Amino acid sequence: MTLLAVENLHVQFSTPFGAVYALRGIDFELSKGEILGLVGETGCGKSVTGRSIIGLLDENAEVTQGRVRFENADLLQLSEADLREIRGNRIAMIFQDPAVALNPLFTIGQQIGDVLRAHGADLRSEQRERALQLLNDVGLPDPAQLVDVYPHQLSGGQQQRAMIAMCLAAEPDVIIADEPTTALDVTIQAQILDLLRMLQRDREISVILITHDLGIVAETCQQVVVLYAGRVVEKGSVETLFAQPQHPYTRGLLSALPRAGSRGRELNVISGTVPSGLERIKGCAFAPRCGFAMPRCHEQQPAFSAFGPKQQSACFLHEPLNHD
Amino acid sequence: MTEPLLRVQGLSMTFSRKSGFFSRVGEELRALNDLSFTINAGETLGIVGESGCGKSTLARCLLRLLTPTAGQIYFAGQDLLALPDETMRRMRQRMQIVLQNPFSSLSPRLNGFQLIAEPLRTHTTMSRKEMMDEVAALLAEVGLPSEFMSRHPHQLSGGQAQRIALARALALNPDFVILDEPTSALDVSVQAQIINLLIRLQKQRALTYLFITHDLGVIQHIGDRIAVMYLGKIVEETSSERIFANPQHPYTQALLSSTPLPDPSRSRQRIILPGTVPSAVDPPSGCSFHPRCAHVMDQCRTLYPAARQTSVGHHVSCHLYENGA
Repeated sequence: MTLLAVENLHVQFSTPFGAVYALRGIDFELSKGEILGLVGETGCGKSVTGRSIIGLLDENAEVTQGRVRFENADLLQLSEADLREIRGNRIAMIFQDPAVALNPLFTIGQQIGDVLRAHGADLRSEQRERALQLLNDVGLPDPAQLVDVYPHQLSGGQQQRAMIAMCLAAEPDVIIADEPTTALDVTIQAQILDLLRMLQRDREISVILITHDLGIVAETCQQVVVLYAGRVVEKGSVETLFAQPQHPYTRGLLSALPRAGSRGRELNVISGTVPSGLERIKGCAFAPRCGFAMPRCHEQQPAFSAFGPKQQSACFLHEPLNHD
Repeated sequence: MTEPLLRVQGLSMTFSRKSGFFSRVGEELRALNDLSFTINAGETLGIVGESGCGKSTLARCLLRLLTPTAGQIYFAGQDLLALPDETMRRMRQRMQIVLQNPFSSLSPRLNGFQLIAEPLRTHTTMSRKEMMDEVAALLAEVGLPSEFMSRHPHQLSGGQAQRIALARALALNPDFVILDEPTSALDVSVQAQIINLLIRLQKQRALTYLFITHDLGVIQHIGDRIAVMYLGKIVEETSSERIFANPQHPYTQALLSSTPLPDPSRSRQRIILPGTVPSAVDPPSGCSFHPRCAHVMDQCRTLYPAARQTSVGHHVSCHLYENGA
């Protein structure tokens, strides 16, 4: 069941150098109880997509086209007051750096208490009780002590857990996690990803996991959406997409990764660089770097072709050959 | 057997610091605790570990940018710690370092030519014309056209800036290059370019690398041997193939199992370590990994396990492998 759908989303930033096209038409659907990975390299628009969904874009950003459907409503059309009802309550966000997202002046318990109060838990004792429960749920040791500490007294992994506990206080349906483990060590990253999988499994929370790490997607997500220069190039179930990547960009990305068995070989490189956001792109955004580019790739934007029921890729190579 | 290019024996680095602003009581932070290892000429040794394990302190000690509190460092047969400063300065021409973030290691005021020529100006008597030629050759070697001589760091992408940093490190024709997370700030497609370049340069110039990283995929690709560090100690050291095929230390096993791989078909039992790395100011007694270890035994709490060879060229510091097991 589709819980949230992003449709043809375009976002522009106005800058002194002109309009920067951050998103150039993003489409994907998030189903209930699944973890969806938004993956791509720096500047592909993955974070902007996440922020657009709950209206947290910077002031110089503007959604120029598109919809974000969530339960019969278009989140982009909601008033600020209506959106505030959804933000946090229904759709919560976790950021890369919990030290920035947590307020340094209040204890963890107070910050969770604030969220609980906003959700009708008026009694201090009730708030504390729930806060302890939540800290325990996210796997923090010794909640009775941690509830009274300030963020700086926690390690990075503990801060991220506390941040997740705050999100859970509102019992959201969707969590958008923007590079939640990038600042953490691998063994701590494994703990946090395990926690996200547990929340998805036990509470049926849907997660949009924004990451640059294909390994994280493969091990954590059920669905994956590959972004390039503000567009979706390929999407589908993790099993099929990693086993048989179709789009030349996805293929290039996967074969650029050093891994077991790549020793002694040259790694595949994707030549050239990502187009600037200032550029207007007529055809396929990847065409200038693509080894298979044909004349039409520079002129027209390819539509999605389906590979089985679970995978779609936007590339002219997939279309039957015609003579143009 | 020939003498290794670098031989480190019993290296320790302890930082003293005050525990608080007004406190007179000092604390000791043991960043490196009795490390011994060797690197042969032409080889790449990978140092793997998480933040705080001491890997960057090790790099600084090897170049004598920090003075270790104990131990010896033999480079090309010479005891670096015993060298007078002037001799050490000349020795550093043969030892270079490339850091993770080129934008913080390259001066924003200098252009490509000035950045790469700076070591030449300091250590050689080249004329400007010779320097121009040399810089152009170095740029070509790292895959950049000579236009980059006039570019400043802010005009470069991350990959281009890292290439400039590499050219600068190669300017004095070193034997040994320490690479401290050289690709960690780069996107996957650019990382692949830099890794290919590093391997090519190593072959062409017969370089010896110490490659510090937290990324096991990268080190598996480029490392000949790998040393795994935890809280200032090397806990396991062996060939790159062996460490991935047969990791023996419980920490190495957990580290490998925590690393996400881009292969969803691979089903595996994840080892998820509890807790976090303890503070090096107050490390646990015995084996410093014991509070997080699933195989902890009584002696682990009191006695640090000596490194022992479990098979040829495979050294592990863990009580599980005692008694010839």
